[in-house]
Amino acid sequence: MKKIFSVFALTALLLAAVSCDKIDNPHKPYTPTGGNKTVLIKDFTGARCVNCPDAAETVHELQHRLGEDRVFIMSVHAGFLAQPLGQFPDFLTEEGTLWYGDNNSNPLFSVDHVALTEGNTLNVDQVDMPVSEALAEPQLFDINITNTYDEASRRLSVENLFNAKGDGDGEYYATVCLVEDSLVGWQTVSGGVNKEYVFRNVFRGTLNGADGELVANGAVFVDDSFAKTCSMELDSTYNADQCYIMTYIYDHQDGKILQTAVKKVK
Amino acid sequence: MRKHILLLFSLALGFSFRASAQSFVENSQVNGSFQTDAQYYMLDEGIGITDLNGKKFGINGFGKVNYTNGNFSAGIRFEAFMPELNGFRSELNGVGLANFYANYDNGFIGMTVGDIYDQFGSGLVFRTYEEWSLGMDNALRGARVVLRPTEGVTLKGVYGRQRFFWAPYLERDMGNDDYRGIVRGVDAEWDLNQSIASLNESEFKMSLGGSFVSKKQADQSLFYYIPENVGAAAARINLGYGNFAFSTEYAYKINDPSAINNFIYKEGRALLSSLSYSQQGFGAVLQVKRVDNMSFKSMYTGKQNDLDINFIPPINYTHTHSLPSMYTYSTQPNGEMAAQFQVNYTIPKGTALGGKYGTKLAFNMSQVNDIVRDSVMDHGQMVLNKKGTLGYSSNFFAISDHRFFRDINFEVDKKISKDWHLTAQYINLYYDIETIEGHAGSPAVKANIGFMDVTYKINKRQSLRLELQGLWENEVHKGYEVEESEKKDYQKRGDWAFALLEYSINPHWSFSVADKWNYGNPVEEYRDHYFTGTVTYIHDASRVMLSAGRQSEGVVCVGGVCRTVPASSGVSLTVSTSF
Repeated sequence: MKKIFSVFALTALLLAAVSCDKIDNPHKPYTPTGGNKTVLIKDFTGARCVNCPDAAETVHELQHRLGEDRVFIMSVHAGFLAQPLGQFPDFLTEEGTLWYGDNNSNPLFSVDHVALTEGNTLNVDQVDMPVSEALAEPQLFDINITNTYDEASRRLSVENLFNAKGDGDGEYYATVCLVEDSLVGWQTVSGGVNKEYVFRNVFRGTLNGADGELVANGAVFVDDSFAKTCSMELDSTYNADQCYIMTYIYDHQDGKILQTAVKKVK
Repeated sequence: MRKHILLLFSLALGFSFRASAQSFVENSQVNGSFQTDAQYYMLDEGIGITDLNGKKFGINGFGKVNYTNGNFSAGIRFEAFMPELNGFRSELNGVGLANFYANYDNGFIGMTVGDIYDQFGSGLVFRTYEEWSLGMDNALRGARVVLRPTEGVTLKGVYGRQRFFWAPYLERDMGNDDYRGIVRGVDAEWDLNQSIASLNESEFKMSLGGSFVSKKQADQSLFYYIPENVGAAAARINLGYGNFAFSTEYAYKINDPSAINNFIYKEGRALLSSLSYSQQGFGAVLQVKRVDNMSFKSMYTGKQNDLDINFIPPINYTHTHSLPSMYTYSTQPNGEMAAQFQVNYTIPKGTALGGKYGTKLAFNMSQVNDIVRDSVMDHGQMVLNKKGTLGYSSNFFAISDHRFFRDINFEVDKKISKDWHLTAQYINLYYDIETIEGHAGSPAVKANIGFMDVTYKINKRQSLRLELQGLWENEVHKGYEVEESEKKDYQKRGDWAFALLEYSINPHWSFSVADKWNYGNPVEEYRDHYFTGTVTYIHDASRVMLSAGRQSEGVVCVGGVCRTVPASSGVSLTVSTSF
């Protein structure tokens, strides 16, 4: 009898001893695999959304860990909590509202997708895995942005050169976005309002429409090259020193972004 | 010569086989049950069903057979979801042998191989079970050993991998979506009254128990070190003296980052206690519960009601009538503080209030609040529930102001005369629909609910039953303004009325008609009638039920575990039998 108890107690103790892993430092060093594939996170946010600042911080930390030259973030103000009210800033755009669609909450994210649609609408906790997976994908296009900016007329002209890095077959469109960084204004935060909140990478609009324009339709082969130009006049309230051009190329059939590139206006 | 020897040997073998087969058959017991639930879906613009998404028909069915012969038992369970009924997980779609087991138990040792259903204590660290109405089955496929070395002592060990719909069990066959770990556990229980001779007849009762359960799942995260072995332990005690009974169980779990807890590395804790008193005609029970980060799954990426290794018992009143059960509490494994108090009293027969048959009264109150979470320091910054950190700290006795649920109800159950029987209940309800059902931004349900259930026996064989129910929300009703974009979160909100009339011809037939009307919904287009007609035929242990009409959107909850039921319209058939 005693033997049975002893064996059972020993088994239980052994099981307990080998069955608990205590983790002191949870963070794993991470090196993105693959080549030069870049990833675009669209952060659908609002100045009156109390959970948005923390979520933005989380994705910026993710960007910092995975590489700021490979992960880009664009803050798209859209939805009920982005509607201007009193002193809260108005960062709404037609294109952003279109991408946001019928959704009714903030913050929401898309990873390498043009719009929030069923299956690619993510909460902040769900962003990391799709980003890491997207970084490991083969790069189908390379984007080279060249631009001129005329201070007097505030005219911005952009030429995008898309070079195929592999063979593909799709309906390839490119959208050219204007993004303004480090804007200061009111933002609802936990416990009240931060009147000097710094808004990062705010989407200001596109140079060629929400859907962009057709780059190539059908089969493309490695080393094929396509050039597209567009231009816009910068709004007088925008600070050109803090503005960026963000171009992405995507397959119009499923809205999946294949590559993104960024360049400062000045 | 050789031929003769062979002939004799064959005859002896044949005789022995026949004798053994005869005894095998004579000592055998076979039992089982079968059920099929089918529904034919129809378009019904009146309740917003304008597209069936290509699904006109759903059918869920099972058949199980158990064989027992002395100390040996074995069984199989066959399931078919072709396709699954709306509201059930699409991963159920399929057909095949879902469970099987073989068991030998001679009182001293019991061994089981195959699919195991078991529970340690109240289930805080281990419970595997099957619940047909939820489409849930977390059976452990593996082995179990039960030892009873002396009177009153039970030692138990389990080892295996949980069922995940139709996913394979072998590690080499699993993909990223169905990869789950191995579960192993031991449990010991000591009933002192059985073990110690001087306590055998004692009025004082005592039993002690302890469990340890661990899961082993490979770390597949790109960003975080996930513990590959996560252990949970629990200790319990049950005491009784005279009419009093007390039981408590405390559980602890080491760091277990998962999709449910947002990948925080905090340990988990749970406490469940119950104190009760009962005597003829009177009973009272007080239960308290604290849960802190106690989701325990064999797949750390899982977010839904599957692959739970443990079970957190609900301590709320279980309503069975239509409107009171519309807002049923769903356990929050990330944190909750709950209490329940119930008193039952029967006013004796022959008194002024008790009348000729006595009157049963019941009062119940239960409330669940969130736990308090405080920020913790991580790399020089204060963080709260942030991924890859300890998440938060929580004072064990602190209760958050955030109330999830409260139910205060009072019931009268009275046999008025030989022919009349009445049950009536009033419920005051608070239900945080944002937390429990995920309707972001929706105001909590604050409602008064009442029902009356009257049965009239026409004669020995025939009876009529009438149910009248009402649900009145205090804030969200006809005049409440709803933003266009938020309408879909208000599909079942506002005031409701329900009536049911049932005519039974015992012992076989029952006919009923019912209507559930959301007349006070703040959104005009949702003020719908959900009418149904049902015919039921019962023959011994067999039952056939045919019903037609509409079903409103809602949740089905069993034991604090819930699934959402979408609104539907059509004809449904349930056939079940057992032997």
